[in-house]
Amino acid sequence: MNIRILGGCLRVFSWGAVLVLTGSVLMLLGYLLVKGVPSLGRDLIFGQVDVLDAVLLKKRVFDGLFPAIAGTLSVVVLSVGLAIPVGVCAGIYMSEFATVFQQRVFGLMFDILAGIPSIVIGLFGFSGAIFIHKYISKDFRPCLAVSVVALAFLVLPYITRTTQAALQGLGDQTRQAALALGATRVQNIFYVLLPRSVSGILSGIILAIGRCAEDTAVIMLTGVVATAGIPGSLLGSYEALPFYIYYISSQYTDAAELMSGYGAAIILLGVCAVLFFLAFLIKRHVAGPAGPARGRFHG
Amino acid sequence: MTRVTQQTARIVFFLSAAVSAMAAALVFGFLLVFGFPLIGGGEFFSLLARPWSPGQGLYGFLPMITGTAAISFLSIVFALPLSLGTVCFMGGLGPARISRLVDGFVRFMTGIPTVIYGFLGIFLLVPVVRTLFTSAGSGMCILSASLMLSLLVSPTMIIFFKDGFDSVDVRYIQAADALGADSVQRLIYVILPEAWPGIVTGIIMGLGRAMGDTLIALMIAGNAVHVPGSILDSARTLTSHIALVSASDYDSLAFKSIFACGLTLYVLNAFAVIAVRRLGRKRGPVR
Amino acid sequence: MALKRSILIVVLMAACPFFLISAQAGAMDPFSGLSGEIRISGGTAHIPVMKEAAKQIMRANPEISISIAGGGSGVGIKQVGEGIVDIGNSGRAATDAEVEKYGLKLFKWAIDGVGVAVNPDNPVTALTKAQLKDIYSGKITDWKNLGGKDAPITVYTRDESSGTRSVFWKKALGKGDIVSSANFVVSNGAMKTAIANDPNAIGYVSVGHMDASVAGVALDGVSPTIDTVKSGEYTVARGLYSNTKGDPSGLTQLFIAYLLSPEGQRIVVQKGFVPVN
Repeated sequence: MNIRILGGCLRVFSWGAVLVLTGSVLMLLGYLLVKGVPSLGRDLIFGQVDVLDAVLLKKRVFDGLFPAIAGTLSVVVLSVGLAIPVGVCAGIYMSEFATVFQQRVFGLMFDILAGIPSIVIGLFGFSGAIFIHKYISKDFRPCLAVSVVALAFLVLPYITRTTQAALQGLGDQTRQAALALGATRVQNIFYVLLPRSVSGILSGIILAIGRCAEDTAVIMLTGVVATAGIPGSLLGSYEALPFYIYYISSQYTDAAELMSGYGAAIILLGVCAVLFFLAFLIKRHVAGPAGPARGRFHG
Repeated sequence: MTRVTQQTARIVFFLSAAVSAMAAALVFGFLLVFGFPLIGGGEFFSLLARPWSPGQGLYGFLPMITGTAAISFLSIVFALPLSLGTVCFMGGLGPARISRLVDGFVRFMTGIPTVIYGFLGIFLLVPVVRTLFTSAGSGMCILSASLMLSLLVSPTMIIFFKDGFDSVDVRYIQAADALGADSVQRLIYVILPEAWPGIVTGIIMGLGRAMGDTLIALMIAGNAVHVPGSILDSARTLTSHIALVSASDYDSLAFKSIFACGLTLYVLNAFAVIAVRRLGRKRGPVR
Repeated sequence: MALKRSILIVVLMAACPFFLISAQAGAMDPFSGLSGEIRISGGTAHIPVMKEAAKQIMRANPEISISIAGGGSGVGIKQVGEGIVDIGNSGRAATDAEVEKYGLKLFKWAIDGVGVAVNPDNPVTALTKAQLKDIYSGKITDWKNLGGKDAPITVYTRDESSGTRSVFWKKALGKGDIVSSANFVVSNGAMKTAIANDPNAIGYVSVGHMDASVAGVALDGVSPTIDTVKSGEYTVARGLYSNTKGDPSGLTQLFIAYLLSPEGQRIVVQKGFVPVN
């Protein structure tokens, strides 16, 4: 086949794909912004309550998104915080220590875990909570802690696999130089291999953060409710932005409530964008000017 | 001392890996134990083929299986060309500066919450579908859900495709460049054949994401419990079925059935994963 | 001068909540000095009243937190029975079997109807029960046959956990079939929204939730309104219940007492239901 024709088709096709994809997403987000920006403001988040009073938890916010924002932030921080150490260590083991057999078996398990739909993880968390409630403590109910553990399960494989991939992607020269100089394997991992694969690991963490912040299916089975206030304890119910958006989308009672749904959607998008760019900045900072000479957005 | 640290570190690493791997088994175990009353009677497979009609004591989930299959397959049909095109664009066909922007945008897209797609689906896409196709009824149908879903799964697919592209040994690319290959030739002769495992992984990850997503289907597919006859029919996926029924009576068979749904999703996912790993190993990196 | 005036305004605004609280001090007295959590789930028709009551209580006493979830009547009964929540709401009376199994106590604090509703643009404003049955069983599939425009009917329904569905199914459909292609929504609020957005929709919704965004359909000549429900003329009606496991105690008992108090019943009226006291 004529490579030039093929090449031309491919070029047109790729431009088309990029335009359709980015175009439709930009259109959706544009619509969201146009409809929702007028609702943005202090009142959307804090209702009639003074900002400082709300943030310092002196007064409760009833007509604002503040409790939902607080709930989402706590759920993200806690679950990613739980998943990172385990996930990174598991990734290190997979890349540096696992035998071929272990790599195969564990790898299969991670792939399966990664593919489990979030609602099934939620169902798992929910049944776990019911189990504890029935057989261990009557006071235990679906709550923030259950959501955190379930979400950590959800994102573990992302972190593990990216860590493993980043480590394995290092060349043999990098891998063996320090060893040849007498470093132990663990020293080699912490001083040579991990620093060089930080950007890869961070890309996994970015995925994980995004998944936790946006996930609705897990939390709707494990403790999120429509009205709860600021999360006060790990064993209490909480609110969350994504659930609020879901809730409002189907149950808004008037135009003002619907507008707050648009507002919540913009804020959630903003939260995700901020988290995303934060992770991106950290990554660039760590990679530094001497980092891998790939593009700035490169994973 | 170093030896002790060495050993401790190794054990910690191993335990982390084992715990993470066990997580998958633990989820399976819970589903099995809770769903046992329904599955234990050897009824699991007959359930798959039965209709859902709790009034008559029927807890089959054929409608949900067909719903899931239709919606996720269609979303991949929409997303695959978009993703392949985009990744080729970033792989050298598009101008470098725009490629970088697109790359950043795609990564940003992974962060767009699925609930926002569902939300916008309700207020933007569903009315359009309803106006365009009168037979779509409310506009909440398979087509609406899979269109939205394709936007959700595209970035996942693109990132895995891209990883496949990036994992191609730089020396091959340099060799091709040295031989005077242009970007199209480099893409077709060097990168695509080498990146094949990444592409398969991407499709699987995309399919998994589509099958596993709850909110979009829950919000804009209509949730009717019947075997859909066309892409303009309302449908319920296994995931939205779990979300809808999970809150009901724990002792009822209807409730147990959602564990069977969960188990089905789990097993489908596991089969897909195993199949891809086999496929990936067989093809291997063609060098 | 301007500064002084704005200070005055700020002071007045800051003082506002105190006036409000003192105005309601009577109803809130029992809650003073208490702290803890009340968990509520279940019936979705109840949610507006629950939210308002919770807001009043939590505003008066910040040490109390009240969480409210939906799920439907079946969920409310089950969860309270299992001790997952403190109060399980239901839009139908718990069955004898449920009461016996969990030792439930039922508190009825409002009466509500379940009205058939269509989009306000739909010219069809009245149906017979027979026609309704045919629509829901899938025998009538086009609005044209009912004097409406030439468009297919989109049937909306709720899941089995819904008390609204169970009342509608018993009293309006005479336990008739519901077509399997019906779209499912998860709550009364969601039903209303779906009907408001779909010109060809038909569904059933708590009368208390009906407003200008949907049009109630007269059934055998009787419109579903708060007045016809009150007079007993509209027969597809039910009580709204809050259930507890055994006799309620502590905060839970106070919450239910509040619902039944004059202040609580005022909220019931304000949210569009028929009060019981």
